[in-house]
Amino acid sequence: MIQHVNAVWKFRHFLMALVKLDLRQRYRRSVLGIGWSLLNPIAMTIVFTLVFSNLLGSGDPISYAASVLTGFAIWGFIRDSTLTGCRCFQTNEAYIRQSPIPYTVYTLRTALGQAIHSLIALGVVVAMVAVYQADASVVLRVGLMLPGLVLVFLAAWAACTIAAFVTVFFHDTQHLLEVTAQILFFLTPIMYPRELLDAKQMGWIVDANPVYWLLELTRGPLLTGQVPAMGMYLAGASITAVLLGLAFGTVVWLQKRVIFQL
Amino acid sequence: MASIEVRDASITFTATQSRHSSFKEYVVRGLFRRSRNPQVAIHALTDVNLLASEGDRIGIIGHNGAGKTTMLKLLAGIYTPTQGDCKVTGQVCSLFDISIGFENEATGWENIVYRSYLQGESPTSLSGKMEEIAAFSELGEFIDLPVKTYSAGMRMRLAFAIATATRPEVLLVDEVLAVGDKAFQIKAKARMQAMMNSSSVMVVVSHDLSTVKDTCNRVLWMKKGRVVADGLPTEVLAAYNREVSGEGETVGCDAKAA
Repeated sequence: MIQHVNAVWKFRHFLMALVKLDLRQRYRRSVLGIGWSLLNPIAMTIVFTLVFSNLLGSGDPISYAASVLTGFAIWGFIRDSTLTGCRCFQTNEAYIRQSPIPYTVYTLRTALGQAIHSLIALGVVVAMVAVYQADASVVLRVGLMLPGLVLVFLAAWAACTIAAFVTVFFHDTQHLLEVTAQILFFLTPIMYPRELLDAKQMGWIVDANPVYWLLELTRGPLLTGQVPAMGMYLAGASITAVLLGLAFGTVVWLQKRVIFQL
Repeated sequence: MASIEVRDASITFTATQSRHSSFKEYVVRGLFRRSRNPQVAIHALTDVNLLASEGDRIGIIGHNGAGKTTMLKLLAGIYTPTQGDCKVTGQVCSLFDISIGFENEATGWENIVYRSYLQGESPTSLSGKMEEIAAFSELGEFIDLPVKTYSAGMRMRLAFAIATATRPEVLLVDEVLAVGDKAFQIKAKARMQAMMNSSSVMVVVSHDLSTVKDTCNRVLWMKKGRVVADGLPTEVLAAYNREVSGEGETVGCDAKAA
């Protein structure tokens, strides 16, 4: 494993150059650049806030909007890393056929690109909350989010890696994951607070959802300014560790065979 | 000290006859019937042995589909043996499939950077080489444009210029010399010759037997994934020629790379 990490490190220049290229392409495609790419989550947030903030939230539109937009950013990051991960080896096939570098470099390319994109959306939320609460110290909450963000990133990278390998062998993986993501989105407390389900004795649905724990580790500190409980961290860390373990197993198991299936 | 150690290496993989398989098919097959998309085992290499050290210039000959390119990819580390071992020490440069894998939206300059990093360069070691690579590719102002605007010949020239900007210890070549126009070919050939001379171990796959005779001091003859002869160029080439002419074929014109 150490060997693998070393090998990835050796190609960090290659990796970062491609991540930079991906971001530039993503933001150059439109006149509005970064703003344009944020349009989707922000527009969704506005619609959700208009329609649901009274119905599902506490009636305070800005804090509802902040909660939803954070949810979108984190959820979107995990979903998009996994879904674009499905095409990862096809996209990088030419490099794979040329050089024996670790496959995880390519999944890192995908996950890092998505991460930077989502961080921009999170930046918007931080600014929004700071302005609304008229309290610049909100920016310091970013520090509290860091452990959660690291866990989210590692989990998403692991999911991306697994998806990339599985897709090579089963080409309909992406389609199945899209359906799963759609279902999971409604089961995750993004547009509603979990208390709504708790009140109906359905809290177990949320507890059983790994995305919830990862989401709460980042959303909680940002919105409330409080450090999550130790148990939350343990849950988040366990989920991430399991995913990383699965990803590592997948890499060891399949890395020698992928090239013959591409 | 560069060396190649391949011991009893085999590469076997399964391929499905039509397209990729899917979860849907997997479930249907498991539940209802035998597959209509049967898996076929392909023995690309079988029990191959190759020990090479400093000074070896190895030419690999054989018919199309004999496993020559697979052998090169094994040495390059792109394929791993499904059985046996393959160990290559020293900095490797592989010259095959070089014209694929450009980032189409990025400029020539940027692609030089990506490719070079992929070959293990660092920002400092690369900075001195950029101009030289660009000059060698003779792309002129096209180097500032996205690669998607290039012709096939231009891509090939750029790829060749990048790939050959290193001084490798182990050089792996798959008959790539059909690069660009006549003038560029001469230039490319000269550079290739210089690389061949400076590398400590070279393996070249070629159908041009006279090139093999001139540049190699050892020849491997492959047939259906096995090495059937390994020895001095004169002997192996003579045996190869005998067999080929025995089949009523002329030597040296059996199509392009395998």
